[in-house]
Amino acid sequence: MYQTHKTYITPDIKMADLVVENPKLLLLLEHFEIDFAVKDKSVAQLCVENKIDLAVFLVFGNLYNGFFPDKNEINALEDISTIIRFLKNSHRFYKHDKYPELKSFLVQLHERQNSEDILLIEKFFNDYFEEVLEHLDYEESIVFPYICKLIEDGKIARKNNFSANEYREHHTDIETKLTDLKNLLLKHISLKNDFSLRRKFLFSLFELEYDLNVHSLIEDKILLPLVGKIEIEPSNG
Amino acid sequence: MDKSRINIAVIEPSHIVFEGISNVLMKFKKDFYLFRFNDLEELKQSTSKEKFNVAIINPSAIQNRLNDFVKLKNAHSNTLWIALIYSFFDDDLLHKFDDTLSVNASLNQIYHKLGQINNSTEKSQQEDLSDREIEVLIQLVKGLANKEIADKLNISIHTVISHRKNITDKTGIKSLSGLTIYAITKKIVPLDHGAV
Repeated sequence: MYQTHKTYITPDIKMADLVVENPKLLLLLEHFEIDFAVKDKSVAQLCVENKIDLAVFLVFGNLYNGFFPDKNEINALEDISTIIRFLKNSHRFYKHDKYPELKSFLVQLHERQNSEDILLIEKFFNDYFEEVLEHLDYEESIVFPYICKLIEDGKIARKNNFSANEYREHHTDIETKLTDLKNLLLKHISLKNDFSLRRKFLFSLFELEYDLNVHSLIEDKILLPLVGKIEIEPSNG
Repeated sequence: MDKSRINIAVIEPSHIVFEGISNVLMKFKKDFYLFRFNDLEELKQSTSKEKFNVAIINPSAIQNRLNDFVKLKNAHSNTLWIALIYSFFDDDLLHKFDDTLSVNASLNQIYHKLGQINNSTEKSQQEDLSDREIEVLIQLVKGLANKEIADKLNISIHTVISHRKNITDKTGIKSLSGLTIYAITKKIVPLDHGAV
């Protein structure tokens, strides 16, 4: 798990100061489609300009800074479509940015030394990536549309094959394999030389792990309970 | 319960001091679990469910309950009872504790105090797998289920599960595909076994 001693984000803090303190907040901005040139603007100003729900931004930003919201804060979140947009953007980031980047590092490592160990790692990574893609597709084709429909209609009968528990298990799987990969490289497999490539690979892996951690917290601990609330609320019409 | 996890009970009325303690402990990157209690009675009740490695207590919490405290302490002699001091207390009172910790203590001093409990957990962190664990790992990589491994090695399924847990604790690797790679790169199994 990540551990940080960062600022607790409030509406009047300047975004630039926060990014200087915790550069991983750039990922947050990117997932919210906020330009990195934040000038001297405060968090609240940025949210107004980019039409982003402030409460959602604060909760997510604080997750990146290592603070988990309490139950009331989660229940007070109303703008589920902003949450979904954020999650979809992070999916795009994993699929088209992060994983291809990691993959290309592995290919380069392999090109430089044709060892069995690298081949194995590459294989492990490719299988893992397949699994991740499958999960992201599942979310995009089943989970998100279901939730969007739910918001539109207020309430619908639970009918499609969406299961919250199964969904959570996927996340555990994805995180377990990522940790395994990290431990294999840090503790067990020594690759000769190639410091620079391996460093880039590891840094990239840590960045992915960090973002995925926040991502599954958002889905499991925030989105699902909020959806659960709509599902059981009596329909008003 | 996770062996490497260290449970710490804290009785400290001040929010600021409590937050301070948890922040300081976080710096050590150990698997600390903090439980905060309002008084001795609350702590006593929870000792039936939870085992504490350390209790950090503001001595004012036991001032009028000395007998209760001594009883509780004797009943849990494996716990390290530490008095947290930031105001004046009578020596007699402080002697009831195993140790004292001043609020002015440096990080290094705190680390050494807690070092007394760290040592016991360090052992399980060694990476070398035992012969039996290696046997289990080989069968796992071959794709055998827990039950099949138990039959093959003539051990109970619980033993298999506990070996698996130790393998994961020692290597930091949980998934079967991860363990396969571990086994191959450590030359525990040849490449053709499960690597397809």
